[in-house]
Amino acid sequence: MHCLVRQTQRISCWLPVAAKIHTTAVQRTFWEREKKSGYKTKLPEPSKKQLIIDGFRDLKEEMKLWRQEVKEKLESDPILVFRPGETDIVFDFKAPDVLDKWTVTTDADHGEGKSTATLELSAAGAGLFHGDVSSQHTKDGIIKRTGYANIRTKRVRKSFKRESTYDWTQYNMLVMKVRGDGRSYLINLHTEGYFDLMWNDIYHYVLYTRGGPHWQIAKIPFSKFFLSSKGRVQDRQNAIALNCVTHFGFSVAAKKGMDGPFGLEIDYVGLEYDPSHREEFAYEMYKTPKYIVAT
Amino acid sequence: MIRKLHCLLRLHSPVNRTVYRQRAPTLFSRSYATTDDANRNANADPKSNNKSNKRAGTTSSSKSLPAIRNPFAAAQDKTKNTYLTMVEIFEERDVHRRNHVEFIYAALKHMPDFNVEHDLEVYKALINVMPKGKFIPTNLFQAEFMHYPKQQQCIIDLLEQMEDYGVMPDYEMEAMLLNVFGNKGHPLRKYWRMMYWMPKFKNLSPWPLPDPVPDDTLEIAKLAVERMCTVDLRSKIDVFETREIKDSLDDTWIVSGMSPEQSKLLREHSRQKALYIEGPFNIWIRNRRINYFTLRADADAQFLAQLDERQVDDDDVTQIGVPFFGRAPPRRHNQLGKLRSVHQQDDGTIFAICATGTSTKDSLLSWIRLLEARGYASLGEIPVLFRFTSSVPAKAEEIEGPANMPAQTSDTASSHREEHTETGSRP
Repeated sequence: MHCLVRQTQRISCWLPVAAKIHTTAVQRTFWEREKKSGYKTKLPEPSKKQLIIDGFRDLKEEMKLWRQEVKEKLESDPILVFRPGETDIVFDFKAPDVLDKWTVTTDADHGEGKSTATLELSAAGAGLFHGDVSSQHTKDGIIKRTGYANIRTKRVRKSFKRESTYDWTQYNMLVMKVRGDGRSYLINLHTEGYFDLMWNDIYHYVLYTRGGPHWQIAKIPFSKFFLSSKGRVQDRQNAIALNCVTHFGFSVAAKKGMDGPFGLEIDYVGLEYDPSHREEFAYEMYKTPKYIVAT
Repeated sequence: MIRKLHCLLRLHSPVNRTVYRQRAPTLFSRSYATTDDANRNANADPKSNNKSNKRAGTTSSSKSLPAIRNPFAAAQDKTKNTYLTMVEIFEERDVHRRNHVEFIYAALKHMPDFNVEHDLEVYKALINVMPKGKFIPTNLFQAEFMHYPKQQQCIIDLLEQMEDYGVMPDYEMEAMLLNVFGNKGHPLRKYWRMMYWMPKFKNLSPWPLPDPVPDDTLEIAKLAVERMCTVDLRSKIDVFETREIKDSLDDTWIVSGMSPEQSKLLREHSRQKALYIEGPFNIWIRNRRINYFTLRADADAQFLAQLDERQVDDDDVTQIGVPFFGRAPPRRHNQLGKLRSVHQQDDGTIFAICATGTSTKDSLLSWIRLLEARGYASLGEIPVLFRFTSSVPAKAEEIEGPANMPAQTSDTASSHREEHTETGSRP
């Protein structure tokens, strides 16, 4: 399960023997040029004139956002009391323009597979993430296994396109109202850091869906989430830093012969503070032998 | 320094694999017998066989190498026994066990053909091919720089395949790996990671399922309906046979799930409001997919609105009713009494769920008649509409059944009408 999202590792290491012929560019360093780790598609750049026009159009919106921020700062009225048992909704699929906030990706985006996926509004007014996952892949000799579809929110930001993070430190539960199809989905909480080592830090947990016509409310404590990077569960674990969450998403994979259609209907994703849940991190932290861990 | 880089990068052993992955080791430079007769020969006299092989190798020039072929692909009888015999033959063939890495890779690749990919014993047999004690590092530098990298990577890939198929290793495997690579080996690190995480995830699902799932469709249907009915613990699963109904065309089974609460709702349902049979929807039971149908009605808006009145928004301070100065205290409706059932969803009331053997309209009609015969006489008076929402047109036609099937039934008063909506709106 913990290797659901598995990409071919493009980092080649310092093992020079036998690696004489390459069809792809090999990186011999651990340094990463950009956040997509070699998966960045170059889009055609618009003309200079267009850029200026777009810039001014964006400026208007950004000023509006900025004004809002300044107002909030001056008012200085943050929520300080988080009442237990109340769910604060973060991603509501009943809100207008909600689909613009999400990005859908599949393995077919980079020619590595044949999965399809879309996110749209369902008849019940909720978001429906559906499609078809397939573990068939192009036999190029590099990709070994594939078959995934994924949705992710866009990076949370402040005005003038400054990146920011969610601050969920007051809560300890993730609450979701979903209707699935019996598959298990992966919940991804991205905590993208500043350095390239931390660009791919994602905290995962599984969302088991019951299937059937009834809605299901899943409450998952944040203490259960475990750290992984590029689809590999890490040896050095710690509880998620809830003030560093940058993206939120779901994944589904065609693992163990589960090729075929999938459908996850999401009404909302919310947060809750449950005072009876005292656990900080669900996984025991053994003292691990030196020089063995994380190698 | 290198060690620190390791730590910084959090490089796991599998990340290192790229260099070795690119060579697909499917071919063998040597052949050995796979047929039964030849097996016996090889087992009976491995040394003579080796000698003859060697002689052949030495006498002939490098141009005329022995025939290249893959023993796993050539095997006639693809069973676990044959597989293990081939591993044994390889072990006994040569004292040096040359090309054992390539052999293990080929063996891993052909596991699904022999139907042994979920078998721990087979994985152990493959690890056993590795020589014991030869790959254990004897000094610090060997330990640090991945002593015998090709061999280590091979076993890491084997463990990864186990992980992919959900096979959990045991302690014997740890002992075997320790004998081969020592306690600093990378395969051991992978093994320890697996033994830390796999038991944690193995039984995590709140809806446990048998592994492997039974092949029988009826059994899968029962599992699926049971799983969907866990929403109401009092639900009961019934298995009907359509041959109980006189006019039914299909002879098949129907797995129907309903709870006492649902039957109460169905009995109280207004005769004027239509019921819908919707489907087919998908549910996955591990790697099996099965279609199910629901019997539902539109949400009772009046009842739901009544419930909403009870909920006073405590945060709204704009309208605070003052219960003094001659005004009657605010009355809240429905303070006692009606509770919303779990089946009364915002987008409809669900009365029953079923899966049928053929998933045709006829079998669904039989389902309604069977329910009618089992105490829901009102079903005969309520209009029941079919609403098939398959995204595959062929499937919708299949459900629809033969064109000459009587959609209107004379013996019941229910009016069965069909609607087609080709848009898949629900999972």
